[in-house]
Amino acid sequence: MSTAFDILWVEKYRPRSLDEIVNQEEIVNRLKTFVKNKNMPHLLFAGPAGTGKTTAAHALAHDLYGEYYRQYMLELNASDERGIGVIREKVKEFARSRTPPDIPFKIILLDEADNMTADAQQALRRLMELYSVSTRFILIANYPSKIIDPIQSRCAFFRFQPLKKDDIVGRLKYIADNEGVEYDPEALETIYEISEGDMRKAINVLQAAAALGKVTVETVFKVVGMAKPKEVRQMIKTALNGDFTGARALLRKLMIEYGLSGEDIVKQIHREIFSNEIDVPEDLRILIADYIGEIHFRLVEGSDDDIQLSALLAWMSLVGRKLGVSG
Amino acid sequence: MIKHHKKIPWIIKYRPRTVEEVVNQEEAKRLLTTWLSAWASGKKPAKRAALLYGPPGVGKTSLVEALAREYNFELLELNASDYRSAYAIRRTVGVAAFKKALFGKGIIILLDEIDGVATREDAGGLQELLKIIPETNNPIIMTANDPWKDQLRPLRDKVLLVQFKQLSTTQIIGVLQRICEKERLECEREALRLIAQLSQGDLRAAINDLEAIAEGYGKVTLALARAILRGREKKSDIWRTLNQVFYAKAAWMAKRAVTNSEEDYETLMAWINDNIPRKYEEPGDLHRAYDALSRASLFLSRAKFKGYWSLLSYVFDLIGPGITYARKEGSILKLRYSYPERIKLMASLREVRQIRESLAQKLASRLLVSKSTVKNDILPILQTIFRYSKDLTYPARLVLGYELTKEEVKYLAGNKAEEIIELAEKIKRTRRIPREPERGEAREAPREQKRASKKKKQERKGKTLDMFFG
Repeated sequence: MSTAFDILWVEKYRPRSLDEIVNQEEIVNRLKTFVKNKNMPHLLFAGPAGTGKTTAAHALAHDLYGEYYRQYMLELNASDERGIGVIREKVKEFARSRTPPDIPFKIILLDEADNMTADAQQALRRLMELYSVSTRFILIANYPSKIIDPIQSRCAFFRFQPLKKDDIVGRLKYIADNEGVEYDPEALETIYEISEGDMRKAINVLQAAAALGKVTVETVFKVVGMAKPKEVRQMIKTALNGDFTGARALLRKLMIEYGLSGEDIVKQIHREIFSNEIDVPEDLRILIADYIGEIHFRLVEGSDDDIQLSALLAWMSLVGRKLGVSG
Repeated sequence: MIKHHKKIPWIIKYRPRTVEEVVNQEEAKRLLTTWLSAWASGKKPAKRAALLYGPPGVGKTSLVEALAREYNFELLELNASDYRSAYAIRRTVGVAAFKKALFGKGIIILLDEIDGVATREDAGGLQELLKIIPETNNPIIMTANDPWKDQLRPLRDKVLLVQFKQLSTTQIIGVLQRICEKERLECEREALRLIAQLSQGDLRAAINDLEAIAEGYGKVTLALARAILRGREKKSDIWRTLNQVFYAKAAWMAKRAVTNSEEDYETLMAWINDNIPRKYEEPGDLHRAYDALSRASLFLSRAKFKGYWSLLSYVFDLIGPGITYARKEGSILKLRYSYPERIKLMASLREVRQIRESLAQKLASRLLVSKSTVKNDILPILQTIFRYSKDLTYPARLVLGYELTKEEVKYLAGNKAEEIIELAEKIKRTRRIPREPERGEAREAPREQKRASKKKKQERKGKTLDMFFG
């Protein structure tokens, strides 16, 4: 490296233009026609995480406006914005601002749009109509079914498929070679298995494993294990052993040392509960998931996370004690 | 009224002189009269001591005084401070128990607030008392607010238990009314009602309040009562509130404890949250208690965020009686209440969350993901890199690449932070750092273009900030 700084590989190896995107060919071809015609409808990109939706949107904007495309694109993330009111203000201001020289519209990119409530989506639909002369919306969603019909019908729909093994392993090889990283070929396949077709996750795991040294199957698993606090699993096991106080001490550690929010922890517990490491009867997993769902809902409603999670652990201790499960 | 009479506090002046005058404790009167008349006739009853229990200010001591007068007994009153140790008990109670009365039929030994004795350091005192009771030649009477304390268990079997009932508002109003008449005071009925209600069944407190108002103004009106007694509502400190919740004998008592608490409900809930496992240990009890508490927290959030403040009432139901009656299986633990860890650690918690938030802001727009994705998926990866990298120059270069602050590095790297920061500074000194490449910018852009883009970058930075704080 000739420079003194480094950036994360997900940023470094992100395709900048449509030409650099190697997979999702059909989608890329359609997008390229928009660039050629210098016109496009509103777009809806749907598909699982890490399949290139956001990357494709940025590449499209890049190809339309050139290197400095970001000034003609308003980037919003529905899960980070505080309500449709905030979004409306930003869209309004953006619509008024600078126009690109030879393209008649600007782009509003709304990521994780399926995290918006149906009401907020109705308001969004009105925004799309109001500013349709000067702007185009690109909506990105994991689950298109969560986007209301009136919006779907106003958008050209693009479904992103999970990436194939060759796509991911090939990309990982390219990056590893370029970075001078030593690796076992099986390790890259393991990363693909773990990533479940999510390119971002795959690259992140590769990078973390590379930090430890040679990338082997072993280091890959080690990294995946390290990346989530082991206290979550430990906490679940302790609770299921009937030790509420011990479990809660771990909860406090997760909240304070790791700074995890109640929702973060709930999500992680949910993920863990279906893993083989937690030795409980299969039907209990569902029961626990059900209870977690209730707790999660309460947190979303603004309830105190420490109290709600304590209640979850107290319940798990009771169930664990009753069934005599060892966690 | 004659001047010097005014100097006698009304609670003494209007103390019942006869058994008859003691308000509304018929059952207690009956039990005690029978017991004491046995003593008076020279036949010692099977249980030689009596324990009078009930809320404060309902006439326990007054009744004993009236009885002593009526049955011609001497009265030896001892306060908790007089009998703290085994030695003190032996010297006072032990001596009086076998003394012959100079006048009258005998000596009533009255031990007030026995529940105050039953602490750990007084354990010897209680033992001594237990030795004296079966032998005593004189009646021993004890009073307590809470006779169900575990320490009092051995005592409970050896004594006659006499319950005193809480006084109703109407009964208290009646007493106050009589005092007003005797003092020739102008008293509004509604004022007396307010005083009675605020006293919560404590006649002594009610009489004191009445006197306080009358003394200054010569009359008792509702407006005066309101003005003077404002904020005088009985408020419990947090430990007392917790005791009242965990040891409540009825649902309304637990509810009253939490509604009267001086602490706001959130603080109260934090205390309950931390102290449930210090009182309950059976998994079923713990679960029911936390279930109630978590539902209270849910109601509170609905009340708060949707403005349905009437829902607060259910919060109190759940953190009061809901906690009390969660205990069905186990006994109550005797651990001391502890200060909520959550409140203690709030500051550090806030700090960590701020650091995570600032990292998320920095990285989200660079990696084109949401802040929550950064927090959940990217930060753990960065932590792994920062903590376990073989070669620390690598994380050090990332520090430069993302312009991370010291606090952020500390969060990511733990005890490796110092080393990484030092390395980053060294790299920075020895190499000329090219401008941070912005996404969408050609690294080898010509100079003029660079300058232009720098300006745009600043504009964009402004926009990004708006985006987060707008």
